[in-house]
Amino acid sequence: MIVRIAILLVVVVLAGCRSLLSSERPPSAAVETPTPTAPSAAPAPAAPVPAPTAPVRQFRLGSAASALVTQAHARVAAGDYAAATATLERALRIEPENPLVWIALGRVQLAAGNAAQGDSMGHKALGLGTGDPNAQSAAWHLIADSLIARGRNQEASTASARADALVPH
Amino acid sequence: MARRPRKIRRRRLLWGSALGLLLLAIAGCAVYIYYIDRSVTLQFQGRRWTLPAQVYAAPLELYAGAPLSMTDLVAELARLQYRMSAKLDRPGTFRRQDERIDIALRATRFADEMRPAQMLTIVAGARSIEALRDGSGHDIPVLRLDPLLIGSIFPTHGEDRIVVAPADVPALLPAALKAVEDRKFDTHHGVDPEAVIRALWVDLRSHQIAQGGSTLTQQLVKSYFLDSRQTMGRKLNEALMAMALEAHFSKSDLMNAYINEIYLGQDGDRAVHGFGLASQFYFGKPLGELDLAELSLLVALVRGPSYYDPRHHPERALARRNLVLKLMVDLKVISPEDAASATSRPLGVTTRAAGAYYPSYLDFVRRTLRRDYADSDLTQEGLKIYTSLEPRAQDEAEQTLDRELARLERSRAATTASLDGAVVITAPASGDVIAIVGGRRIGYSGFNRALDAARPMGSVVKPFVYLTALETHRYTPASIVQDAPVDIRMSNGTHWRPLNFTRQIYGPVPLVRALAESMNLATVAVGMDVGVTHVAQTLQRFGLERAPAQVPALLLGAVNATPLDVAQLYTGLANGGYRMPLRAVRTVLSASGAPLKAFPLQLTAIADPEVVFEVDEMMQQVIERGTGRAARGVLPRDVVVVGKSGTTQDLRDSWFAGFSGSHLAVVWVGYDDNRPTGFTGAAAALAIWSRVLADLGTTSWSAAMPESLNEVSIDYFTGLQIEGACANADTIRIGVPPSTQLAKKPGCIAAAAPSPAGRLVERLRAIIQQ
Repeated sequence: MIVRIAILLVVVVLAGCRSLLSSERPPSAAVETPTPTAPSAAPAPAAPVPAPTAPVRQFRLGSAASALVTQAHARVAAGDYAAATATLERALRIEPENPLVWIALGRVQLAAGNAAQGDSMGHKALGLGTGDPNAQSAAWHLIADSLIARGRNQEASTASARADALVPH
Repeated sequence: MARRPRKIRRRRLLWGSALGLLLLAIAGCAVYIYYIDRSVTLQFQGRRWTLPAQVYAAPLELYAGAPLSMTDLVAELARLQYRMSAKLDRPGTFRRQDERIDIALRATRFADEMRPAQMLTIVAGARSIEALRDGSGHDIPVLRLDPLLIGSIFPTHGEDRIVVAPADVPALLPAALKAVEDRKFDTHHGVDPEAVIRALWVDLRSHQIAQGGSTLTQQLVKSYFLDSRQTMGRKLNEALMAMALEAHFSKSDLMNAYINEIYLGQDGDRAVHGFGLASQFYFGKPLGELDLAELSLLVALVRGPSYYDPRHHPERALARRNLVLKLMVDLKVISPEDAASATSRPLGVTTRAAGAYYPSYLDFVRRTLRRDYADSDLTQEGLKIYTSLEPRAQDEAEQTLDRELARLERSRAATTASLDGAVVITAPASGDVIAIVGGRRIGYSGFNRALDAARPMGSVVKPFVYLTALETHRYTPASIVQDAPVDIRMSNGTHWRPLNFTRQIYGPVPLVRALAESMNLATVAVGMDVGVTHVAQTLQRFGLERAPAQVPALLLGAVNATPLDVAQLYTGLANGGYRMPLRAVRTVLSASGAPLKAFPLQLTAIADPEVVFEVDEMMQQVIERGTGRAARGVLPRDVVVVGKSGTTQDLRDSWFAGFSGSHLAVVWVGYDDNRPTGFTGAAAALAIWSRVLADLGTTSWSAAMPESLNEVSIDYFTGLQIEGACANADTIRIGVPPSTQLAKKPGCIAAAAPSPAGRLVERLRAIIQQ
């Protein structure tokens, strides 16, 4: 179980990286080496005001939030969900509007046996991730897993399908 | 013949009974001493100071990009009582060089980990942190400063203390105490007969019992076992008990007990005991960081914490501190040079106003914890409580409230300082309550208006009326509603005929404008159409605890709520339709640091994100064009905020509630006796609200429009759809459901607005191009 959650958390971080790699920005703006001119904390929405055509965005974690997600990952591996939650809440205070942080937090809630919170946080991330197919797909996966944990398999497969429709395997 | 034996017999009887009495007395004495010895030893052996829970603020998070300037950082270090020092030789010091600041961080316990003392370098720009490095020059992604100790939850008898272990006590402190209070401490057996005789002589000459002649052990006994009345009997008891303690405990044990026990000051109801707390109380930092001058002042206070109170009687305190330094030189505890340099130092105590003392916030913490803990747990068990308080936001809110209220009073030549108010600030994404101001008197733990002033909500209720309407899907933000006279016949036969605040009638208006300009008649029309019951249910769904009375006047805010209640209600609006309980407490640790209880973030979906987004955009127009316009003159031009004003009958309550990306704030202004204030929500509460948000450097509300909505341009005044070249200063852009049919402004050429199918093609193309 713990290993699974750890893997899922890694997936979340990677999802951030992957969306980054698929962007047209040079890889020098990678999570590990934030450019000092662009505050790394803020996600980079393509446009500040929603335009009529939904902008395509790519959320990634800033270096601070990224470090905290990694720390949370270690705490999950040690079985300390409360500490992992506290760490992810720190990340959330730094990047409250980044769906990737909410997904990570939802994953820990789900692992700690709180599937309803996993579901809610997945939906919250889905809204925040508007315009970012990778983030939204990860959110749908979290929702699907939370639904499975609650025995709602039918709804879960619908959620999985939506995740796959956004980012096919 | 017979008389003599009788006499002898009588004498024998006399001697016998005298002897018996003597034996009895000796036995009684022995039993008494034994009893004293046993009870004192037992009590002292099992000694446990009642340890009030210590309450900490949220630690400041540092990371590259954090919106903190050099000034902010230095202010925060000052708050934490870090001292400037070029040498950087011990924890609790820092040095600054242009844009770089080096800090020797203290060892700190956080809610989730213990961090050893370490070095930190921060490079700060004008507005944000540029880099963080550790002692060996490596980049650190994120790090917290120490959490500020903001107070403790002490019992009703008021004894507060922070217990220190011998290792935390500077070696100079016991030496100084011995030099000043008890020179023979190391050798006596609890009492110092010579000192007693000297003191007695003084007592006899002055015909009263004065302090003096007591050993440290006797002082400890007096404070720990006895009350403060001084009688001869008590003195004897005290001496016996002191000797008993000395017989059973080591000198170092007794010294440590003394350091933690002795009374050193008074702070309202709170009695400051022990050098650990006194160090925080007078200097705001740990005992281990005190210098010679500061330590000497605390030693000086032992003789009379109120007589020598350094905040009220600085001259007396200074004279006695210097006497303490002189005595230490006399006994060769310190060098004359050190003493001279310490003597030249000012007292250095923190001022009360700048001290970390936030009674309104602590009040909320206490109430939160009372649900889970008995009073005795909070006041005796040494719990460590980690809260969400942000001292910077709290200070800002306190100062702004008082300053703005004073300005308002001057503008009306009102009676000074009777207008009052309350402020609640939260971080909307996490539900963290970061500041609570319960009234104008800073640091005064009286009536907490933020938590207890339940007043009519007035128009701050309106967003929930419109939200209920949008949920029916019969309304959109662009729907035209009638602002026309209302006449509602009540069940008791009376008529309710509300008016607009301006006494005007606006006729047909779009929903967005009805909310932005807080039109009462349009709101009642919409609310009656969707049903008062449903509006009441919406309020409860968003977190109103008491069911409101289901009367038409509810639509205009005839429902009582405290500023904290309103903050809870608006949290759902700030969060895309998710409710989360507002939290002051994050974690509770036991005295030994074991986690006891956490209050994790919890989300409950309570409304469709689309509907909430529509309401938020309508509230954006409150600021851009409606009753909240004045905020635009205070906040930076590019910062988007949303909110709603509220004013109750006869201007008794002035409200403003709203949020940005990073903060949610609720402000109430009024009189405690419910007199009319003469101010609308826009005039009083809004001024405070916008000033606080501006000074906190708040970030824009920037929720992404849900994909299920369509953005359209409409005329703010008429609600007619605007296309292409017809856009002008009255045009606003707003999200509506895609099925919305809007009347178009006549005479405009239809521009090529993308159709839903066209949008899909655009999106697919964008995805393929990745």
